[in-house]
Amino acid sequence: MSETGPSSAPLTDGELKEAARPSPWRDVRVLRAAGQVLFVVILVVIAREMYLNATFAIGSAGRELSYTYLDSRAGFAIKEHIVGYSSNQPLYKAFLVGATNAMLVGAAGIVMATVLGVLIGVARLSPNWMVRKIALVYVEVFRNTPLLVQVIFWYVAVILAIPRIEDSVSVFGLAFVSNRGAALPAIRSGADFGTWSLFALAALLVAAIVWRWRTRVHERTGGPHYRWLSSLAVMAVLAAAGYVIVGDAFKVEVPELIAHGYSGGLQMSPEFAGILVALVFYTAAFIGEIVRGSILAVSKGQKEAAQALGLSPGQQLRLVVLPQAMRTAIPPINNQYLNLWKNTSLAFAVGFPDLINISTTMVNQAGHALETFSLVVGTYLGTSLLISFGMNIVNRAVALRGGTA
Amino acid sequence: MSGAGPKGPRLGLGLSEDVDLLRFEQQAREAEAAPGPAPATPGEWIRQNLFSGPVNALLTLASGTFVLFVAYQILSFVFVSAQWEVVQVGMRGYMIGGFPVDEAWRVWASAYLVIVLAGLSYGVSARRLRPSAGQAAVGAVIVAVAGAIVFFTAQTALVRALTAGVAPAVFAGALVGRLLGRKILKPLVVAWVLVFPAIMIVVRGFDGVPPSEWEGFFFNIIAATVGIVASFPLGLLLALGRRSELPAVRVASVGFIELFRGVPLVAWLIFSKFVVDLVLPPQMVIPDIVKAFVAMTFFSAAYVGEIVRGGLQGVPAGQYEAARALGLSTTRMMALIVLPQALRSTIPAMISHFISLFKDTSLFVAIEVTDLLAAARRSASSLQYFGRDMETLLFAGLIFWAVAFSMSRWSQRLEVRLGVGRR
Repeated sequence: MSETGPSSAPLTDGELKEAARPSPWRDVRVLRAAGQVLFVVILVVIAREMYLNATFAIGSAGRELSYTYLDSRAGFAIKEHIVGYSSNQPLYKAFLVGATNAMLVGAAGIVMATVLGVLIGVARLSPNWMVRKIALVYVEVFRNTPLLVQVIFWYVAVILAIPRIEDSVSVFGLAFVSNRGAALPAIRSGADFGTWSLFALAALLVAAIVWRWRTRVHERTGGPHYRWLSSLAVMAVLAAAGYVIVGDAFKVEVPELIAHGYSGGLQMSPEFAGILVALVFYTAAFIGEIVRGSILAVSKGQKEAAQALGLSPGQQLRLVVLPQAMRTAIPPINNQYLNLWKNTSLAFAVGFPDLINISTTMVNQAGHALETFSLVVGTYLGTSLLISFGMNIVNRAVALRGGTA
Repeated sequence: MSGAGPKGPRLGLGLSEDVDLLRFEQQAREAEAAPGPAPATPGEWIRQNLFSGPVNALLTLASGTFVLFVAYQILSFVFVSAQWEVVQVGMRGYMIGGFPVDEAWRVWASAYLVIVLAGLSYGVSARRLRPSAGQAAVGAVIVAVAGAIVFFTAQTALVRALTAGVAPAVFAGALVGRLLGRKILKPLVVAWVLVFPAIMIVVRGFDGVPPSEWEGFFFNIIAATVGIVASFPLGLLLALGRRSELPAVRVASVGFIELFRGVPLVAWLIFSKFVVDLVLPPQMVIPDIVKAFVAMTFFSAAYVGEIVRGGLQGVPAGQYEAARALGLSTTRMMALIVLPQALRSTIPAMISHFISLFKDTSLFVAIEVTDLLAAARRSASSLQYFGRDMETLLFAGLIFWAVAFSMSRWSQRLEVRLGVGRR
């Protein structure tokens, strides 16, 4: 070693570094690396132990750890599905039905909760005392009660309490509501839908051109642009013309009450309605508070400036306040969307065939708890990541350019 | 909002913005509290707030009709068509389920322990914050409703007396807390930390009652307490791990947090019941309820971790540098300088998470635990009271609501008191 040598010559750079380096067991870098390696090794050992235990437990039950059971026949019926299913189809198809059912509830819930939530948020700040207080009571009631209580309440105490199917409430003979669910008229594509969609595409294009033209006129002259009005009108006229020319583009399918059930149209089961209504009302309370908070977080000067420019109260809200409020509101609303998506799992309480419900049935019928429930975990995790990813894109689109304030 | 925004690229989903949200919720409350021109007369007030223009007048009429309709529906149900006998008969089941009746004194003792502590804490904190007239009115209504429920449901004189004793106990606690003030703050904190082990001893010790027999609302309270007490330290570790300089620790923490947050609690509860046994060594037998508690703790810890991370991000870099300059070790820097500041700013978000954890204890029904809600449903499916769902659900909902609502109010007061987001 250089420091022990009797040499009196000046030390070289390499030798200096060598001298400054402490012994390995006192070197922070070495210790850190070693600590991390140890940490990883422990995790790997635990994971391996768990894997071995699982294969042993499953092996001693005479089975093996594999996903091939998913190809075997399901053998149980599922009341509602949007992907087509019968009990003769393989198990993975049943799993898919559960996932798509949950996603349907989640997607519908997200859209409806957003609309209701924004309304509640704006109502919380209404100049009208009565409206303000109603919104406050709504928020305090719905957000401080467990969602499961609400799900069961809507399903058992409200939806199942509406008249029986024999006494269905009919809305002008077009829609029916009873405790067997609701049936709404559906719009189905006709034989010539393909041809008509070309017309629709052309209409969209022309509308876009009209939009640009009106915007240019507005920019040049400063006069009113009416771009929404004019482009939508052009689009509607062209699409209607296409419908008249093509003929059989759409059919309206009106549901019928036959014996003890509905046939045709768009049918909604009471289970679906129960979980959906509960999710919407519950999540809207949270979204309402977020919207209210972010409206109030927009600096007062913005509103005063909009007032000074002579905008009407509606315009102030729509053009100045809400776009800025959206920026602060999006990340927490993203959280609420994720919560709503995860909360679709409460459908188990009303027997709606969602992921949890179907996978529990699968395990009861075919076993393979580890494989099935790990699929459930994977599906929720993947979809949560997807929602988050989508919202991050939205967030980036509305964020202030040049970093956050 | 300076210093509140996220800094640098983030790992993972970046789900939690709760702390930011609460910060501007608080700004919102301040903005609302700002004094405006006060109306001179009641007539003036009505004109300003209800009939300031044609649109407003229309809104008032429409919403007034709506309120009258809803109020009529609720009142006519509660006082005319509802048959509350089912609640009266089922009350013990709702509160303690199948907990042995002879051992019910254990529950009462635990309840009184908590009640007196809560009264003391209220008394200590109320010295600084007097409730407004509105808050007092809400409190009075809740007390009146609770009193009415006791009056109509208690079956034996002893239960009636014990329930009636709750209000005096809280009041006495509050009075003593008010007299002693901040002198007892430290013992009080210690007492809160010790209250859970104490309850465990009262319930389980001396030939006590095993967890499988904890049911009803008692179960909800115990489960929420377990979740809060156990997930806080774990969440703290996860937050520190997520900000660690060691990549392996960081990745593991992020993985844990995102895994447990990305999947619903119901799924974890079912997972704990059906899958966990498979991956554990065969000789290791853990009761279902304990596995479920662990699952809930992991789930909650992931959230706590994100909340604490938000708080850590709000601590200015200068604080770390100053601590380093004083020669503090990493542990002491965190314990003495960083965490006290970070945790203070996370209190509102933390409480709102614990409120939702409390509400989520109703999900244990997925693994066949008879909690308050399950007991309520069961009583409405008995032969004698079949179909009395509305009554039982309203009652169960009211109990959950009262606890969650008072916790959220308490959190708002605490927030004002601590001046979160203002320093």
